[in-house]
Amino acid sequence: MNDDKLTLYFYKDGLTQAERLGITNALAADTELAARYKLLSNSLSRLSDAEPDAVTPDMMQRFHNTIDRAANRERGATSTTSPPVHFWSFFWGAAITAALALGIGIGVWFGADFEPGPDDGIGRDLFVDVTPQNNVVPVVFQRSITNYFRESQRDITDLPMDAEADRLILILRLIDHNRLFEKAAMQNNSPELARVLRAFEPILVKLAANDIAPEEAEVLRAQLAFELNVMLTKLTRDTSDGRQTYSERT
Amino acid sequence: MQGGGEPTQAEFHEAITNRADRWFAACLKITRNRAMAEDAVQEALLSAWAKRSQFQHDARLDTWIHRIAVNAALQLLRKNRPASFEPLDFEIPDDADSQEDVHHAGELERDLGKALTHLSDIERICFVLKHIEQWRLREIAEELEINVGAVKQALFRGVGKLRKRMTTLQGV
Repeated sequence: MNDDKLTLYFYKDGLTQAERLGITNALAADTELAARYKLLSNSLSRLSDAEPDAVTPDMMQRFHNTIDRAANRERGATSTTSPPVHFWSFFWGAAITAALALGIGIGVWFGADFEPGPDDGIGRDLFVDVTPQNNVVPVVFQRSITNYFRESQRDITDLPMDAEADRLILILRLIDHNRLFEKAAMQNNSPELARVLRAFEPILVKLAANDIAPEEAEVLRAQLAFELNVMLTKLTRDTSDGRQTYSERT
Repeated sequence: MQGGGEPTQAEFHEAITNRADRWFAACLKITRNRAMAEDAVQEALLSAWAKRSQFQHDARLDTWIHRIAVNAALQLLRKNRPASFEPLDFEIPDDADSQEDVHHAGELERDLGKALTHLSDIERICFVLKHIEQWRLREIAEELEINVGAVKQALFRGVGKLRKRMTTLQGV
């Protein structure tokens, strides 16, 4: 009997009932064959799966994001009716986004195309240096993000936990703005701030889950409110210390 | 898993946290390409999410996704390297006896994934699906669109080569 038959016998697959019975009997009667089978089964057992290849944190995050994006898309697609949106939340979101876009736009425009001369004061207050050497958070950005934190804190506090559609819309909007500000923070030489903003997203995603328990939601809301408060305090303190503004320094 | 209903977003996240490394490892053994393996897992997650209403609650979510990921890896491999699925009529010799391989043997053989690089694509796929993923021979044949006899031959050759390496290098 060749090893191929013994291999199939080991895998308990690919043999008829009669063939299996025949091999079982042969193994019982033939010690040499039994020794060969033992060697084979030992070898195959040693070919066990090794430790799985490590998934990098980035890759793991991408897997999680895949599900979040799919879920968000689905929610967007299934929202056939327009649930009520808090006017002030919407207003502030739009206003902040516009201010942010304006701030970045002005900074990029002046940074790329306009170099004020020694006697030319035009644009000096608006100029935003986004080069990595500059350790200063530009004033336009700082004002925008302070407002964003303040409004987010209010939204989180007033989050309508009993109205799922409202809650989802608000959280999705917060996530969108969070990503915008994260990008802006990187462009404005504030990697630490970007990191904090990035850390908010998983909490927001959890809070958006439709099956979240009220107690868990409460804990997450409190955590977010606390983090936002810490950031606001820090930003306000930095502002009063006069650390941030280009215009104040010049 | 919470009783009844389709798996939730939170349950998907939990499955990813606990088992994504296993899904990725299985896909990597099949594709031998990290990018392709990651794509396979991504596709599996999207597919599983889209079809979650079909999930049978007597099964495990992570096992279900694992199976979808393996299928996705096979499909990606078929798309990128169609020749991988051609049954071979001839034996490709194992290069186990080369001096360089013997030199690094102990290290190589600790990792089955690396040992599998000595097999042809069809041998590796059949071995992985049978030995590691524990598919039935018939299922493998159906998935690879070849006959069961060809699956057996590829499996025998794969097992033979791996055993030969172990015998030569580790004295088993």
